[in-house]
Amino acid sequence: MRFLRNTFGYFLAATVINGLWGIFLNKFGLLGAYGAAFFLTGSMWCVNHYIGLIKHDDDSAFIDMGLGVAIGLIAKNYMVNGLESMINSAPTLLYVIIGAALGGYMAVLIETHIIEKDPTEINSKKESLESVNIELVDGKLEV
Amino acid sequence: MSGQAIFTTITGAFLLPFFIRLLWGRFVNKLGAIGGFLAAIIVVGTIWILDHGMKNHLIQQGNSGWIDMGLAAAVGVFTASVVTGGKVKKSFANLGAAVIGGTISGIILILIM
Repeated sequence: MRFLRNTFGYFLAATVINGLWGIFLNKFGLLGAYGAAFFLTGSMWCVNHYIGLIKHDDDSAFIDMGLGVAIGLIAKNYMVNGLESMINSAPTLLYVIIGAALGGYMAVLIETHIIEKDPTEINSKKESLESVNIELVDGKLEV
Repeated sequence: MSGQAIFTTITGAFLLPFFIRLLWGRFVNKLGAIGGFLAAIIVVGTIWILDHGMKNHLIQQGNSGWIDMGLAAAVGVFTASVVTGGKVKKSFANLGAAVIGGTISGIILILIM
């Protein structure tokens, strides 16, 4: 049941996003991408990842709904254009994977650096507190 | 692919998971589900135009076939979650679901359109 639910989530995201994105572009030109992102990607994200149609274990790696979208387009291209189109798109695939892995990794590096507290800052606060409060030094004042 | 195309493709694929990872969660924490919609407009909208829409779009495709930036989002967020401790083996079921769901979607889209 869980597998069916997950599959349906990826299927829904892929169908809605791939099928309807063109409508926004045709109607509004290039800036229609913003409308498409809001309505299609936004609502599919809300259903799949916020409300939780796609269920992940707490400690499993995260498979984003974008994978369903990408595989949907690859499958569609394979059926329309045949194996040659997949061979033609192999270099793009390789470089997209490289760039994406770098992007995710760099984001983690920056996140961990944002989060970590600067230990010297805490020590110096304590030192300055002890140096002005003689009661603290004498052990009479509790902090 | 020429060197310039390689560089722009890697850059275009770098941007999406980078900003999703840094911004999306913060938007949702501040504003709840509306934050998610806002993040979708700002991150996905802009980066779609950069990667696929504009005249010299960053992700250069081959002669035929289309590698969508959704793949960049998935691979990047997957990498980030593995680096911060996600278990790869447990994600195989979801991986299979994504592949199957996406393939069925491709088939249905061809039948409909």
